[in-house]
Amino acid sequence: MAATDTTRARPPGTPPPPERPAGAPARPLIGLGAAARMLRPVRARLIACAVLSAAAAAAGVVPFVAVAEIGRTVLTAPGAAAAAPAVWAWAGAGAAGAALRLLLLGLSTHIGHTADAEMLHHLRVRIVRRLGVLPLGWFRAAGSGEVKKAMTDDLEAMHELFAHTLGGMAGAAAALLAGVGYLLSVDPRLALITLAVPLLSVLAYRIGMRSSSPHAARLLAAEGRISAASVEYVDGIGVVKTFGGTGERALGRFDAAMREHTGAYRAWAAENRTTSAVNRVLGSETAVLGVVAAAGLGFVAAGRLGAADLLPFLAVGIGLPTAVAPALVHGAHGLRTARMAAGHIAGLLSRPPLPEPERPRRPRGHRVEFDRVTFSYDGAANAVEDISAGCEPGTVTALVGPSGAGKSTLAALLPRFHDVTGGAIRVGGVDVRDMASRELLASVSPVFQDVVLLRDTVAENIRIGRPEAGDDEVRRAAKAAQVHDVVMRLPHGYDTVLGAGGGGLSGGERQRLTIARAILADAPIVVLDEATAALDPDSEAAVQDALAELVAGRTVIVIAHRLHTVSGAHRILVLDQGRLAESGTHPELLARGGLYARMWRAQYDGDRA
Amino acid sequence: MIRRLFRLWPHPGLLVRLWLLTAVLAVLQGLLLGLLVPVLRALLRPEPDIAAASPWLAAGAAGLIAYGVLSALAPPIGYAACIELAVQLRHRLMRHVTTLPLGWFSTERKGRFVRTATSVSRDLAQLTYVIGAPAITGTLVPATIAAVVLAVDWRVAVPLLVTLPVALAALARAKRTVAEVSADMEVAGNEIAGRAIEFGQAQPVLRAAGRAATGTARMRGALAEHRTRYRRGLRRMLGPDLAYSGVVAAGFVAALVTGVRALLDGTLPPADAVALLVLAVRYLEPLGGMIDHAAGLGAMQYLAERAEKVLRTPALPSAPRPVRGLAHAGVEFRQVAYFYGDAADGAAGRTPALRDVSFDCPPGSTTALVGPSGSGKTTVTRLIARFFDADAGQVRVGGTDVREYDHGVLLSEIAIVFQDVYLFDTTIEENVRIAHPDATDAELRDAARAARLDEVVERLPDGWRTRVGEAGAQLSGGERQRVSIARAVLKRARIVLIDEAASALDPENERAVGAAVTALARDPGRTVIVIAHRPATLDAADRVVALDAGRVTETGTPDELRRTGGGFARLYDQYERTRGWHITATFPEG
Repeated sequence: MAATDTTRARPPGTPPPPERPAGAPARPLIGLGAAARMLRPVRARLIACAVLSAAAAAAGVVPFVAVAEIGRTVLTAPGAAAAAPAVWAWAGAGAAGAALRLLLLGLSTHIGHTADAEMLHHLRVRIVRRLGVLPLGWFRAAGSGEVKKAMTDDLEAMHELFAHTLGGMAGAAAALLAGVGYLLSVDPRLALITLAVPLLSVLAYRIGMRSSSPHAARLLAAEGRISAASVEYVDGIGVVKTFGGTGERALGRFDAAMREHTGAYRAWAAENRTTSAVNRVLGSETAVLGVVAAAGLGFVAAGRLGAADLLPFLAVGIGLPTAVAPALVHGAHGLRTARMAAGHIAGLLSRPPLPEPERPRRPRGHRVEFDRVTFSYDGAANAVEDISAGCEPGTVTALVGPSGAGKSTLAALLPRFHDVTGGAIRVGGVDVRDMASRELLASVSPVFQDVVLLRDTVAENIRIGRPEAGDDEVRRAAKAAQVHDVVMRLPHGYDTVLGAGGGGLSGGERQRLTIARAILADAPIVVLDEATAALDPDSEAAVQDALAELVAGRTVIVIAHRLHTVSGAHRILVLDQGRLAESGTHPELLARGGLYARMWRAQYDGDRA
Repeated sequence: MIRRLFRLWPHPGLLVRLWLLTAVLAVLQGLLLGLLVPVLRALLRPEPDIAAASPWLAAGAAGLIAYGVLSALAPPIGYAACIELAVQLRHRLMRHVTTLPLGWFSTERKGRFVRTATSVSRDLAQLTYVIGAPAITGTLVPATIAAVVLAVDWRVAVPLLVTLPVALAALARAKRTVAEVSADMEVAGNEIAGRAIEFGQAQPVLRAAGRAATGTARMRGALAEHRTRYRRGLRRMLGPDLAYSGVVAAGFVAALVTGVRALLDGTLPPADAVALLVLAVRYLEPLGGMIDHAAGLGAMQYLAERAEKVLRTPALPSAPRPVRGLAHAGVEFRQVAYFYGDAADGAAGRTPALRDVSFDCPPGSTTALVGPSGSGKTTVTRLIARFFDADAGQVRVGGTDVREYDHGVLLSEIAIVFQDVYLFDTTIEENVRIAHPDATDAELRDAARAARLDEVVERLPDGWRTRVGEAGAQLSGGERQRVSIARAVLKRARIVLIDEAASALDPENERAVGAAVTALARDPGRTVIVIAHRPATLDAADRVVALDAGRVTETGTPDELRRTGGGFARLYDQYERTRGWHITATFPEG
């Protein structure tokens, strides 16, 4: 949040930080109405915050007015004694105004903060709920980055809105209105002249920012290159060093990226030279002072203004524009950022959930049937096309084929990571779309090569397979998955909390924990997608033993690269470019001499070594 | 803070100019406001006397022009400083990181370094202008005004002079609180982010368990914890914020009351009193606005600390009189111990990775390192190349401790083929040639053939000229490993370190890489040390060093060790068994 706060303090005329180019193509802005609906739970508090902030700002003008009025009173009164009561009254008002401002500001900030914390929590809970019903495929496509962005970055950008922007803008507007109103009541002509200075300054800023989009885009691209070059440098430093280079080549790229960045920045600054100088000069208190002095003296000399009436402009007028302009300019910017972030969150919250059947049907048995299954990610090309096959309970069905053949896609359709775009998948005679998703997922245990462990205890990580399972059952599953001994060596055994990376467990051990989870879940159908491919051979043997334990007696669908691992399968489905090229047992397919036989030969014959 | 920034920038010329200019402008602004005293004295007579004011007005006009000219100069210098400082800092960081031991480059540290060299450097450089300049203005304008007031009437000046240091102290406190709260919130935010990612990834299993809608207990706990921390953090910041504003407001009210009393008891002429009160307002306003910069100042400090941390990381120690040539290509370990973790924690707080490891690899031999994952095989290879240094004992190459060598010379004799192969975003040819830029085309082709890279190159659309994409993304893991082997062959290094990761590869690459590794091992001109996973590689080795839990458990020839029936024999059987395993539904098979 520090980073966002610093942008608020940017003086007008400074190019905005490149991560938020003013005119870069951005996510759609959320409508104000939609944003207001999103903020409904804390609306009353946000309004209170803004009103109090405005009142505080208005109270903050009172001390300045007091000084001006003390001057006018003294200078127009016949003597000091006569003026005393009024002077003291104004001094009291000034002190009271300062105190009131502090009080109201504290209240406003406090209410804003509470609303902020409530709103963030509320939105996070809503996001979590929504994530729980989105199609599983979305997580794979959009990835965890999207989730993280919504849960942290976007919400933080919105927090700016609750915590700072709304109150700040309301305050600035109120201060401006109060100050200008007072000055207009003293002398409208001089008031307008005083205001003209900052208006011209803002105008110069606008003109300077007009051409900002291409510059911002160029800067952003250059920053991207700097980042890529430094990533390449640190990633490649091992290569660079071990191959005797001094890294000049990689550093050269970094230098070139920096030169480009410098050039882009300079070009922007050069184009803005005049406007930013004008903006800077006119945006200062001193400029207002000069103008007020010149115009005011002129009026006084011409007898059109009492000398005492200069005081309000000196006390209230000079500082007013510089005090409120940043809040207004950057407030608009913050509002835009917050609306963008809100748009993203609203988009996530309104994503269609995975359709649930109104009257879920229960499967009879666990036969898996692919019936003319077709699926397309993009609606144009089919990743899987017209595949039909049945998998009998207690048998192993293998999916093989070149990479990109659609094996993983087909396997992911069974637990409804995506819904088929043609045909149907049935479990026990019931279309998976007609089953309650909880029941479907309880019947199908997927084991993938990317292991997901929760940052929780070992026991909870296994138990999530079947939350009501007792400690004995958890241990039995761990033993069956060949991971019990490993767990017992951990500092707190089953109560050891696993870290984000699995905390001290090797890849094979982590994989065995997920197998223990699947064994505990006891789902009748098991989908294995390259479950051992990412392991080193030392772990692989143990994982293989665990898998053997898991698949015993179940309906198994297994994806394999190494063909010999599935040579004993009851049926091998050979996929090629999304279609079923051939199927049969290992000897049948070898005898056929088709794609499978060619793949087998490529893997196991004709070693050159 | 200023000293800290100057330490980061050895050539702070532009920064000094920018800040000096800002300071001059601030003092000038204060003095111009100070002119209000004589001008108002002249004007606020019963009959305004503009003639009496005119010398002051002339001075004011001159000052205004000077101010205008100087402040028009400020933005270009500010922009130039932003750029120049970021470039300087980035260069320093890049140069420094080049001197660090290769073992320093963990994924996490690399990520942090990249952020430091990009956004941290940029933000810090920008803050020197965006926050630094207003902070100078916000301090020096009030200070100048206080001085002017002092020259006119000391009584009114006292509250202003007292307020300034107290306000700055309160600001420092606010800044500290912001920094602490930001750090605390960052922790809570990271926790939430981690839980969110985990929640997304674990959806299938959570849904099967019926827990998807509410999240796990820990997810809910993290959300509640975040709200608590967040509220607490915001509440903590409120106090110092209000305290600061309170101090400034109290100072102003004190000046107001003092001025009014002096005015009413006739000890201060009305014109002077009015002028001083106006100045008090002008004092209050910029000083009060400083609280808006507390967060920025805190951020500046935080970013400076991050840059310093990288620059403080000790470089790989170099010998005072480095050895510049290898006597021979033998490698020896003598009672080597190595501990994970930060050396500063001492041996007690660190996990041993290797203990009392001793073995010999004669020149030209091939040694296979075997052992379960986590047994220390990788650490052995990294100690030879000095990714980091041993905590005890000696690692010798060519009979000399590796720490005695010029590191560049040592590395020029070593080729490394690790699991994670990094390719630069250029052609495949350049990626191989990096090992030996002057190699002839014939040498290049020979190396490619030996590494089985020729098959890959033939298949690529532009052959050797094919660009491999960022980090070699256009090639598969196995193909990248073949590039790495080709580099090793082309380099003609006398010592080759290989981390064989055959299982991460698809079958075709596995075979090709295996064949290339075996060919390298058979070359009598090379000392090869290979972390072996394949029976074929084990067979090609002259000797085996078996490790378990950081200790050497067995050494000998593969045949000897297989016959003795120890851990190695078991491992060898396991490798064989893995190769033959296949899945069936009815019975597990060995």
